[in-house]
Amino acid sequence: MIFPKATISEIIGLLEVVNDSGGIEDAARLAADFDLELDEILPSIDGAELLGFVSVTDGNIELTEDARNLLETGIRDRKKIIRDKVAGVGIIKELTSMLMESDERKISKKETLKFLQDKIATADIESYFRIIINWTRHAGLIGYNSDSEEICLISK
Amino acid sequence: MLAEIKNISKTFESDGNKIQVLDNINFTVEDNDFICIVGPSGCGKSTLLRIIVGLEKPTSGEVLFKGEVIAPDNPKVAMVFQNFALFPWLTVKENIELVLESKKYGEEAEKVACKYIRAVGLDGFERVYPRELSGGMKQRVGFARELAVEPVLLCMDEPFSSLDALTSQNLKDELLMLWAEVSMPPDAVIMVTHNVEEAVYMANRIIILSPRPGKIVADLKIELERPRNRKDPEFYRWVDKVYSLIV
Ligand SMILES: Nc1ncnc2c1ncn2[C@@H]1O[C@H](COP(=O)(O)OP(=O)(O)OP(=O)(O)O)[C@@H](O)[C@H]1O
Ligand SMILES: [Mg+2]
Repeated sequence: MIFPKATISEIIGLLEVVNDSGGIEDAARLAADFDLELDEILPSIDGAELLGFVSVTDGNIELTEDARNLLETGIRDRKKIIRDKVAGVGIIKELTSMLMESDERKISKKETLKFLQDKIATADIESYFRIIINWTRHAGLIGYNSDSEEICLISK
Repeated sequence: MLAEIKNISKTFESDGNKIQVLDNINFTVEDNDFICIVGPSGCGKSTLLRIIVGLEKPTSGEVLFKGEVIAPDNPKVAMVFQNFALFPWLTVKENIELVLESKKYGEEAEKVACKYIRAVGLDGFERVYPRELSGGMKQRVGFARELAVEPVLLCMDEPFSSLDALTSQNLKDELLMLWAEVSMPPDAVIMVTHNVEEAVYMANRIIILSPRPGKIVADLKIELERPRNRKDPEFYRWVDKVYSLIV
């Protein structure tokens, strides 16, 4: 499996741009609009798709109902929608249940990287770790303490 | 009237050479103004902003804030820089609490910090160190930190220029959402940018400067409804108009 290397901010930025084009836009045209290579926006498109914010057919990116709801609401309520969506991502669900079953609901970064490495075939697992933590922090689900080098469940 | 920029000129002297950077700049800032200052590179935009917040002295002229000459430590005026510094050894929350230190203590500082952390969508990142943050999240800390002092006038120098295109889009929209909230500071914004589309997207007033020495060539009211759409032909007419005025 691969995981999209895009931050939540980039993904929402993408939704905003597609929204300006009337809710549907050709990926190549969108990239050209920003003077970017298609490669540079693909991770954001993949991320948006994984979170259920767009559907992609034949290079056309179309906003889903959830994306429209997200864009219409304020920063506070966006957080809630993001939380629900991120919580539903397979690899994050697995991490969450691992944390629930672990002692003190904490897992070392080392162990987390090993788990991720088994799922994501990459030489650069660190940057995937950073992205996943970016998502789970936005969602208020999983945090990371860089002093103790442990991930932990964020209590509500 | 919030602020008055009166007959501002600025000449720098380096190695015995005099360079005039600003030439007799005059305008007033009203409540609810979202002013973007645009102009060619090197025309003195950053210098003008630094003079407005009192960080730099003009060679002649003066800046009045609510009728008084501006002082650099005026708590009602805040500035967000393009590459502002966060303290690397402090967490997000501590970085924000730090600016409140002189005015608010303990629980109250914490309350205010939390309010603005939530306002900019940084909750979940409170205990994170700057090195772990993406550019977009860092810039959010910058906004939260300046908003936390609850300024009346917020000045920003190219706050989006070091971000990637999508992140910057997201931050612009969120900043406008905050701006639309009446209960949120500030009362007026002055933002410097070299990006004309960005100016038309954000501003209700655009001030265009000439090449150095910067003079005001136009002061335009942007009469576009919000939320604005970059694909709207009307939007493009404004962009073209601003471009045509920049030499
Ligand atoms: N402290 C200084 N001493 C001498 N010259 C300076 C000083 N600060 C700025 N300048 C000069 O003043 C001119 C205007 O600089 P300023 O940074 O205000 O322009 P700007 O419009 O913000 O440019 P940019 O679009 O590149 O950000 C430049 O030529 C710059 O080299
Ligand atoms: Mg500048």
